[in-house]
Amino acid sequence: MIHFYHVTKRFDRYSTALHDVTFHVDKGEFVFLTGASGAGKSTLLKLILRQIRATDGQIVVNGRNLSTIRRSHLPFFRREIGMVFQDFKLIERMTVFENLSFILTILGLPPKEHKKMTYSALRAVSLHHKMGAYPQQLSGGEQQRVAIARALINDPLVLIADEPTGNLDPDLAEDIIRIFSDANVRGSTVLIATHDRDLIERSGRRVITLDHGRITEEKIAAPERPMRVEGIFGLG
Amino acid sequence: MKDPEIPRSTPSYFFREALRRIWVSKRTSSVAIAMITISLLIVGTFLLISENLGRAVTRWQGSSRATVYLDAEATPEQTASVAAWLSAHPDFGKHRFVTKAEALQRFRTYFSNLREVVGDLNENPFPASFECEVSPATAQSRAFAAETAELKSMAGVDQVQLDWDWVRRLRKLVDLVNIAGLVAGGILALAAAFTIANVIRLTMMLYHEEIEIMRLVGATERIIRGPFLIEGLLQGTIGAIVAVILLFAGYLIAARLMPPASSLLWGFLFAGFLPWQKLAALIAGGMFAGWFGSWLSVRETSEEGPRFTED
Repeated sequence: MIHFYHVTKRFDRYSTALHDVTFHVDKGEFVFLTGASGAGKSTLLKLILRQIRATDGQIVVNGRNLSTIRRSHLPFFRREIGMVFQDFKLIERMTVFENLSFILTILGLPPKEHKKMTYSALRAVSLHHKMGAYPQQLSGGEQQRVAIARALINDPLVLIADEPTGNLDPDLAEDIIRIFSDANVRGSTVLIATHDRDLIERSGRRVITLDHGRITEEKIAAPERPMRVEGIFGLG
Repeated sequence: MKDPEIPRSTPSYFFREALRRIWVSKRTSSVAIAMITISLLIVGTFLLISENLGRAVTRWQGSSRATVYLDAEATPEQTASVAAWLSAHPDFGKHRFVTKAEALQRFRTYFSNLREVVGDLNENPFPASFECEVSPATAQSRAFAAETAELKSMAGVDQVQLDWDWVRRLRKLVDLVNIAGLVAGGILALAAAFTIANVIRLTMMLYHEEIEIMRLVGATERIIRGPFLIEGLLQGTIGAIVAVILLFAGYLIAARLMPPASSLLWGFLFAGFLPWQKLAALIAGGMFAGWFGSWLSVRETSEEGPRFTED
């Protein structure tokens, strides 16, 4: 589903974010991407979304080569990817409901479907009671959950998240990971960037470790205890 | 791969968003709307003047006149002889005798502000005349020219004046007014379009972050640009409608303020309002200027590599 072939990302002569990175994430996999701050995690996720272009190498996501994809096809490619940004990227002037229903407008779904689907997505992150609130009226953790609900609302083929548990307490972080796991069970390929080692250890998932822009380790984490997978969106 | 297209539910989103943005940026939107209004008001005024002048010219052309002015010292016999000649020549159709006193009275009615000038004179300076109705076709014939020359040579006749000479001049004036209106209006409409372009550019800068987010979640350029294009279109439409309303109000006020029968020209200029076709063209012009202005701005935008923050 996600294939990196000798990818290098250089911003200028003195700043190389990724060096010759090669890895593959299969369809339906759940993978953690970890590393210290500045390791290149966010850059790697931005490359997957084609937010930035690789300097060298090839990236193929869901069968599309991101070096050659036409600009006019980028929006349609991005609709297949649910992205949870580190800074949430919620539209400040829109309510929580509008932030989510905007995705459905883009997808061309009839307005009568918006309420049902938005409610369902927000219920999954326990924020269905905040549909009318504006992002600035929410805590950091709540904003993060809205961003997650937005990423999940159209059941994306690929779900990528940049530090999705960074602003959450451990219990809530586990709930969020459970939501991603459930999306994974429903068929989404999941790639989460985090430096929360405990969370990774508990998950028992595959882990890719980055250090100064290079992959230094790829392994399956040994779970201390299995993560619960519970029903969300009325499924499970 | 699906072709880029606008989903069916998005037009209502475009309009909602455009109206909201106009409301949020009331001041800047007002400037753009005012520019459109001013330029279309000027075009509309020129159109109104030329329309009414054109109507007057058409009316006069339909029933052109030849005026036979008599000498101040023309005897009753000479006057009778001229009347008999006119009756004998059907090209001059119906004719009517206007006495010196009647000519003076007409002047006092049409040029009331000059009434005192004439009052100071000891005698009536206006000559008696015959007003003859002549069809435009007849007026252009060679036979008529010969008859006019014969009439001019008759005793007691001072001058034969043909209305269509100045009707022709008036027609040229109408054309000139039309051209002046179109040039001035065109320049102003272009200025208005550039104002709208700048307003839309400012709005896009204001929504820069939002636009970036929209792109990242899969919005096409059409979906991003749509509300901005509609915003310009609405600004142009509102400006044009306001211009038409102001033009009509101005026309009503001018028609009401018109002194009764004091000015022939005034009466011509405000004889009627613009036909609906020209009003529709004015509104369409405003809509186009608005759309064109926003198109100038949005066509410059496209996805660029956004700045990143390294983890």
